[in-house]
Amino acid sequence: MVGIHPAVRQVEPYIAALQGIGKLMCVLALGFVLAASITQVENAQADTAQAEELASLDREIEAIKSDLASLSQTLFELEESVLYPADTQVAVFLALKDKNGLALDSVELYLNGSPVSSHLYTDRERESLRKGGVQRLYIGNLPHGSHQLKAILTASSANERFIRREVRHQFRKRPGESRIQMTLDAAAPDYEPVVSFQEWK
Amino acid sequence: MQKWIRNLKPARCLALVLLFGSGPGAMAATGHPELDLGIARFALATGDDAAALWYTNNPETEHESLIRARALLNTGRQNQAVALLDRLIDGDYYRGEAALLKSTLMVKSTLTDGDQNQSGRTRLLELASQKGHGDIRQQAFFHLAEMARTNEQPERAGQILASMDPGYWAALGYMNIAADYAKHDLNPSRALISLRVAMAMAEEDPDRARGEALKAQLLVRAGLLAYENEDYDKAISFLEKVALESYSTPQGLYLHGLALSAKGKHRDAMQSWHRARKYPLAFPGVAESWLGTGRGYDMAGYLGQAGEAYLSASASYDSERVTLRKLADLIRDKGAFEALVTGAGETQAEWFLADSRMLTQPRSAYLLRFMENAGSQEAVRRVRDLDNMLDRMAQQERTLTVFRGVLKERLADRASQAAGISEAFAANFDALVRRISSARESAIPGSDSATELRQLALTLADVRDSAGRFGARVDNRDQTLGGLSAKVGSALTSLERNRQRASQALIQANAELDQRVLTYVDSEAERMTVALEKAEQQIAHLYEYLALQNLDRSAP
Repeated sequence: MVGIHPAVRQVEPYIAALQGIGKLMCVLALGFVLAASITQVENAQADTAQAEELASLDREIEAIKSDLASLSQTLFELEESVLYPADTQVAVFLALKDKNGLALDSVELYLNGSPVSSHLYTDRERESLRKGGVQRLYIGNLPHGSHQLKAILTASSANERFIRREVRHQFRKRPGESRIQMTLDAAAPDYEPVVSFQEWK
Repeated sequence: MQKWIRNLKPARCLALVLLFGSGPGAMAATGHPELDLGIARFALATGDDAAALWYTNNPETEHESLIRARALLNTGRQNQAVALLDRLIDGDYYRGEAALLKSTLMVKSTLTDGDQNQSGRTRLLELASQKGHGDIRQQAFFHLAEMARTNEQPERAGQILASMDPGYWAALGYMNIAADYAKHDLNPSRALISLRVAMAMAEEDPDRARGEALKAQLLVRAGLLAYENEDYDKAISFLEKVALESYSTPQGLYLHGLALSAKGKHRDAMQSWHRARKYPLAFPGVAESWLGTGRGYDMAGYLGQAGEAYLSASASYDSERVTLRKLADLIRDKGAFEALVTGAGETQAEWFLADSRMLTQPRSAYLLRFMENAGSQEAVRRVRDLDNMLDRMAQQERTLTVFRGVLKERLADRASQAAGISEAFAANFDALVRRISSARESAIPGSDSATELRQLALTLADVRDSAGRFGARVDNRDQTLGGLSAKVGSALTSLERNRQRASQALIQANAELDQRVLTYVDSEAERMTVALEKAEQQIAHLYEYLALQNLDRSAP
């Protein structure tokens, strides 16, 4: 039988104590790891919950946007019906024929000498007109009979000239909706603006 | 006769016509497809989605369908838009554009999930790159290259980029691929070559401002890469080309100073840092430039000026911390949207104030830096959208309330309903016709009077037509007005419900934005604290050095 060395016996209580501390450290470390994992999981859960909350907010905004668009359409319809009855309705449109000849600055519109509409163009609007867009400049009511439309256009031409032109058009308001389209053309080389009028029946 | 005509014209005809021409009219789109398309196109481009939808109510052509799909997407009706896009993808003329639009929707992963999403998106982008033209085609190529790059297929991404036309999208693609090379390669050559290609591509961007902004960013990236690889001459040559008016200028100036300093040109370096210091501390490189100036003086042997430079850096960081604290208080008090976005002069009403000086205003600088993050952009977009929607709802409510009043008055006006066409009116009308006929007989054919009388006769004929329809209109009047009134009532109810929902959503969106901005402001304050500590450390080192020197000098 091998006996325990007295020196070992002397340090045994210390070893036991150290083992105890080691165990405690292990438990503490495990605790820290567990706590860190729990925090990580909690953080991940919180992030997911927040992302879900934001996604649901985005869905709600889209739904409100959609409902608002339906309302805008209803209002558009009502405006047409209540404000501009078909029989007296007159609408004036503007389009460009030559896409690059002119960059419109402004348009002023007069009906029978009274100003009814004026518009200053943004780059976006100019670009849209250039790509074939048609702008509704004016919509209103006029009695049957003869009327005069006057438009004052300011623009800069492709040969870097500032242009101001005044054009007049005589028309007769007839029963039913009247639509008058002004088409602006400025062909090379002199880019002189020419405005033509077309009445859509 | 002339006098008679003058009396007749304005007074009678206009009164008659206005009387008859007031029936309600059901307005449809104009009935002329060409005109409808043009109006819808303009409406969509100028943000009037309701009008765009109205004029493309029954899309007959593919172009109308495309405009309608875009307007539907703008107004949050994704499912209806996707149905139209699917039809266009199988169509003849807008396959590329529709495929690209649908692929963009798939990024949000709302249509399908996971692998199906990925393969579906690739298929759509390939279709867009084959069938699309111009910008559409280039965008499709860019997204395909990005997908390859993020799937760790840089060679494939490179091949796609090589097939692109020069311009913005190709430049973006090369910039991203350069970032990947810079991360993975020990040698910067591949990354620098990619950045050089990106710069050449950005120069070809037809949108000059966008191209120049991107080029400045590319130059700063190339400069940083060269500096990190200790190729200072190359770094200087890149950074010297950064435009002085760009968003990347402060960072470019700081890096330029660093490269010069590394070459031992401390005086030149300080000139660059001095210029960078004129920008708000929010921009990257500015706080470092304040410290760099002190270090530059130190390295050049001007210890007194170095101390002063560190002290002024310390004071500026301290004052910035106060600014940030006040900004945080303002955000807590008024909300982030008003404190940062509206208050920074970014509203449309103040567009005329927006110029290059915006870069030198601290609050604008913090806003710009904050908005660099995609999540922040989303948070601001949510609040802005809801704010705009509530404004529009308030306008709509005012209009609908006026309509309700007008319709109510018209319905209550029983007198005019019973009026109809009186006998006196009919007699008056007949008399007018007779007078015009007799006047026409006595007028000289071809004269101005004859022409004018002919016009008057035509107008009277129109009035007679309207009068003929007047009875039927009067019979339908109550029904029509009642229908319109019910429509207005239901629109108002629906509006009120939406308003409550939007207000609730706005509270939530504002809270999220506030939290995000406060976190950002706190992190900026922390950055200033770190910079302040660095400045104080430098001052301490400097004083310690000076004290030791004094001790050495005074030693016997």
